[in-house]
Amino acid sequence: MSALAASTARYRHGMEPFATVLVRRMFATWHDAAISIVCLAFVIWLLPKLIGWAFLDAVWSAPNATPCIGGAGACWAVITARWRLIIFGLYPFDQHWRSGLACLAVVVVVVLSCVPALWRPVRLSLLWLGGFLTFYFLMRGGVFGLSLVGTERWGGMALTLFIFTAVAVLGMPMAIILALGRQSELPAIRWLAGLLIDTVRALPLLTVLFTAAVILPFALPDWLIGDKLYRVIYAFALFFACAQAEIIRGGLQAIHAGQLEAAKALGLGYWHRTWHIVLPQAFRNSLPATINQFVITFKETSIVIIIGFFEVLASGHAAYGTGDWTSAYAEVYVFIALIYFAFVFSLSRYGAHLEKRMRLGHD
Amino acid sequence: MTDNARAEAVVLRGVSKFFGTFQALKNINLTVREGERIVVCGPSGSGKSTMIRCINRLEAHQEGSIHVLGTELGDDLKNIDAIRREVGMVFQQFNLFPHLTVLENCTLAPRLVLRMSEADAEKEAMRYLERVRIPEQAAKYPGQLSGGQQQRVAIARALCMTPRIMLFDEPTSALDPEMISEVLDVMVELANSGMTMICVTHEMGFARKVADRMVFMAEGEIVESNDPKSFFEQPKSERTKQFLSQILSH
Repeated sequence: MSALAASTARYRHGMEPFATVLVRRMFATWHDAAISIVCLAFVIWLLPKLIGWAFLDAVWSAPNATPCIGGAGACWAVITARWRLIIFGLYPFDQHWRSGLACLAVVVVVVLSCVPALWRPVRLSLLWLGGFLTFYFLMRGGVFGLSLVGTERWGGMALTLFIFTAVAVLGMPMAIILALGRQSELPAIRWLAGLLIDTVRALPLLTVLFTAAVILPFALPDWLIGDKLYRVIYAFALFFACAQAEIIRGGLQAIHAGQLEAAKALGLGYWHRTWHIVLPQAFRNSLPATINQFVITFKETSIVIIIGFFEVLASGHAAYGTGDWTSAYAEVYVFIALIYFAFVFSLSRYGAHLEKRMRLGHD
Repeated sequence: MTDNARAEAVVLRGVSKFFGTFQALKNINLTVREGERIVVCGPSGSGKSTMIRCINRLEAHQEGSIHVLGTELGDDLKNIDAIRREVGMVFQQFNLFPHLTVLENCTLAPRLVLRMSEADAEKEAMRYLERVRIPEQAAKYPGQLSGGQQQRVAIARALCMTPRIMLFDEPTSALDPEMISEVLDVMVELANSGMTMICVTHEMGFARKVADRMVFMAEGEIVESNDPKSFFEQPKSERTKQFLSQILSH
């Protein structure tokens, strides 16, 4: 015991060589050693193959897939040749800069959200609303001399980002209203909010989106049908809101009753209490789960492929699906996986950063 | 006689309060005049906290009437808001807002309720933070302060609303012993400034020093109410004697 403590201490002080620590941890008993050897053998076998495939033997650029055929390496040429299709989908080719700028606007908004000076409900709402509108008008056009591009031609990364931000921007306020509604002192409101939340949460997302895209038009009057993309986004936002409402409710319930009493004793009314005392604390309490919900939602946007939207995964299919590049599907999927990873990883790192920062406010 | 000339700040007449079938307050009658310092004591569960929580309607009473500064407390939300603006409260658990800095804790209500400008509210807040001897902590979060410091901030936060009445609900009960005096010192100073105060506390030294009147409660009733000297030296009821012997014996 004391020997272990001593060696730990030596390691902490950087006196024990790394290799010694490694050996001690991986080969402590004979079955530890066996498992370690098998894993190491696998890695040693796999790594050169992977590096060879991804880098050494890879074809980086070619007019078509012919140079790749028979080669041992990855055919990254498909990405060089088709990246614009993957990122921008069917958006008019000469207008791709608009789609690019629109994506950039969303990224800028996310980065700006990290600036503590903007962490006021009003500023943050304005930032997200502004970013969202910038995105929307750049993509759609029809103003400032930009040509009009209908949502049926939006695609690729831009469509994925649009669906994600629209769902977040619409869904978050809905989630707050539903969560507060479920805690309302008025039985009718509490009951209605509960019914809606429990019903929607009991349905699979695919059914909800399918209903909105395909079945709803039969049930709605013509003037209410609108664009299929918007119907899908509203339905998706409702789905998001119902899940997020429960997350916020968890955050609300964790708030100490004394907080509300102190706010009441200071003369703060319901809305002041809710906005300045209750919601900020509820958000802090529910932050890890909220970030998780955002990550899930980002990945779930790929479901719209089934109802005929051309988001990044669908445009990936198209990128290898046109004869020339059929053999290079793995490379396309790796590329798309990297895009998803970049977004989801930044999202969760941002969440971790927020959590660390907000811990300051609690003991 | 001069006492009777002063305006009535808080008047409770025949107040009863029930939690379900349990009667927490039984026919409470109490009049507090402006500038008066009342100390309420009694065993736990005697209704002390419930009584002062009725005065700013954190609890609703079911029978009798409560008038605060001439306004009757009822279901009328306007009256409740008006009264809460004039009545400050300090809690046992401090209840500072953990997501706001000390300064923001103090400026929030003056800005939102009194519609003060941020600059004015901050100036006022710093004045009160100096009064509770803690101005250097203004930029910190409550979680970074000791219990005594937090409770002093809570007092400053209440004072920032310039209340005419202050309620204290066992303000030192959650504190480590070495921090009690720093909070009591601030309360003594506040009492000396002429503030109308109703304090639920077991700090009998504090009570002797500042109280104009002691109120002893047991089982939801006011058992005895008297000036501190008579209260401590010639308690009338058996229960008061018993209670005093218990808390003064150690």
